[in-house]
Amino acid sequence: MPVVKKADNNISYGGGAIVSSDIKSHANDPFFVKKAEEAKIAVSKLVLPETKKK
Amino acid sequence: MNLPHYDYLTSDFQEYAFDSIGPNGKIRKVVRFQKLQDNPVIYNLAFGDQDPNSGEVDDSTTSNNADRDIVLATVAHTVNDFCDHYGNHFIYATGSTPARTRLYQMGINKIFDEICTKFDVYGISGDRTYPIEKNVNYEAFLIKRK
Repeated sequence: MPVVKKADNNISYGGGAIVSSDIKSHANDPFFVKKAEEAKIAVSKLVLPETKKK
Repeated sequence: MNLPHYDYLTSDFQEYAFDSIGPNGKIRKVVRFQKLQDNPVIYNLAFGDQDPNSGEVDDSTTSNNADRDIVLATVAHTVNDFCDHYGNHFIYATGSTPARTRLYQMGINKIFDEICTKFDVYGISGDRTYPIEKNVNYEAFLIKRK
C-alpha cells in the first residue's frame, strides 16, 4: 500500500480525499486550458448516448 | 472502489493533487475536471505531472514510477469524489496519445465489472459513442455515474 503523509492542517474527508487550502489552483495552467479547448472541439462533434435517435 | 490508491488533496473537489511514489521518487500528479458545456453538462477530466520547479502541469512525460495501477485507481476515486460534489454528469477523458489512451483502457479493463456497476461507460470512436467493450480500442471515453 502506498504511504502518504497527511499534513496536520489537512482534514481527512474519507475515500482518500483530504481537504486542504494549501494546494494551488491550476485553472489557468496552459496545460489544462489547452486540454479543455481540445476536449470542447471533440465533444461538440459527438453524438451523445442520451441524444441518440431510437 | 476497494483498490489501492493514494490519498489526494483537494480544496474545491474540482481539482485534486496526489504524489506518486516509486523508483523515480515522488512525482506530484494533478487531476482537474473542467466544465465544457451545459445541456447536457459535460466535464473534461485531465491529469498530468506537475513540474516541481515551474509548478506547471504536463502529460508528455512518462513517469515510469512502477505504480500505474495505483495512479489510475486514484484518478478513478477522484471521479467518484467529483460526482459526489458536482453531480452525475458526463465526464470526457482521453489520453495525450493513442498509446496512452490504450493504457487508460487497460486500466479500465482491470476494474471493468466494478466500474460498470457504478458508471455508464462509453467508448468514443470518431463522433460516435458506444457502450464500452473490453477488447475494442477507442479514441476517448465518456463516463457518467449511475
